[in-house]
Amino acid sequence: MSEFATLASPYSMPAALHGDVDLTDSSQQTRSRALNQFLAGVELKAFKIAQAGLRHEDDAHDAVQDAMLQLARAYADRPAEEWKPLFYRILENRIRDMQRRRTVRGRVIAWLPFRGDEDEDEPDLIAQAPSPDLEPPQRLELDQAMSVLEKAVGELPRRQQQAFLLRALEGLDVAETATAMGCSEGSVKTHYFRAVQTLRAQLGDLYV
Amino acid sequence: MNPLDEPLTAFERNARTVLEESVRRIDGRTRSRLNQARQAAVAAAAKKRAPWWRGFTLMPAAGAAAAAVLVMVVMWQRQPVGELPLLEASQVSAEHPAVEDIDLLADGDAMEMMEGWDGSFYEWAAAQNDASGESNS
Repeated sequence: MSEFATLASPYSMPAALHGDVDLTDSSQQTRSRALNQFLAGVELKAFKIAQAGLRHEDDAHDAVQDAMLQLARAYADRPAEEWKPLFYRILENRIRDMQRRRTVRGRVIAWLPFRGDEDEDEPDLIAQAPSPDLEPPQRLELDQAMSVLEKAVGELPRRQQQAFLLRALEGLDVAETATAMGCSEGSVKTHYFRAVQTLRAQLGDLYV
Repeated sequence: MNPLDEPLTAFERNARTVLEESVRRIDGRTRSRLNQARQAAVAAAAKKRAPWWRGFTLMPAAGAAAAAVLVMVVMWQRQPVGELPLLEASQVSAEHPAVEDIDLLADGDAMEMMEGWDGSFYEWAAAQNDASGESNS
């Protein structure tokens, strides 16, 4: 419990906003605050990882939301050091489930005589507005690098993609990545090495 | 401590910088949705962890209900098979003194009379009554 006492609270206490929650135990409040802070720290990167795996913004959001709820309901009482690999393990399972479901749905829809493009979302101009704090040439260069990297990462085999993003983006070590992927540390190193080799072969001119 | 076990190459560092920039550029709508999802998750965790003493608040009611069930079971098992639970007044006899006792207990005046019973006075009054009857005859 002492490890939570030193954590700052950058966000308001959400449980206190809901009138139906009665947290009288200070340790519970501290733990809720720690969980809130943990989720706030991983949610954006988790969204990017889910987006790379699912290639759909709403599906990525749903996957992250489900992973958050599952972690909070089933593993909130576990030590905070275990949350990150557990969270990414849950997220990975969720992404895989959604990929399978999408594959089945795609096969079914392929047999239907009429299918429209109702899934196409309207572009959100505000959301697509560029960040204002970069000079145009830098922004253009970064946009290009980001575009080709995201495309190349999206085309990686799923396990390589997962190993690369968990280590390069989220910063998990080999053991945590192995827990999150549900495989051995040796497999993580292999997947990561192959991912880097593939990306370097495709993007070497832009990144070195 | 470096989270990675080996030093990053220049390629990996560049890739990491670009990925972090892409995270930084996530739009406000997505951030807002993720924030709401997080609030819901934390609230769900708080709801799940109800205080341990909450379980004891229902103990008195549960105890009373259990006691009532126990009394009903005992009374039901003591009741002879095939008989009505209560007898009519005409059926009251020496076989069922308990029913008479119930009437006595239910009558407050009778209880007071039983508590203030003075046997010698009633014997004396009866003797006086008998003596006056004999003298009249």
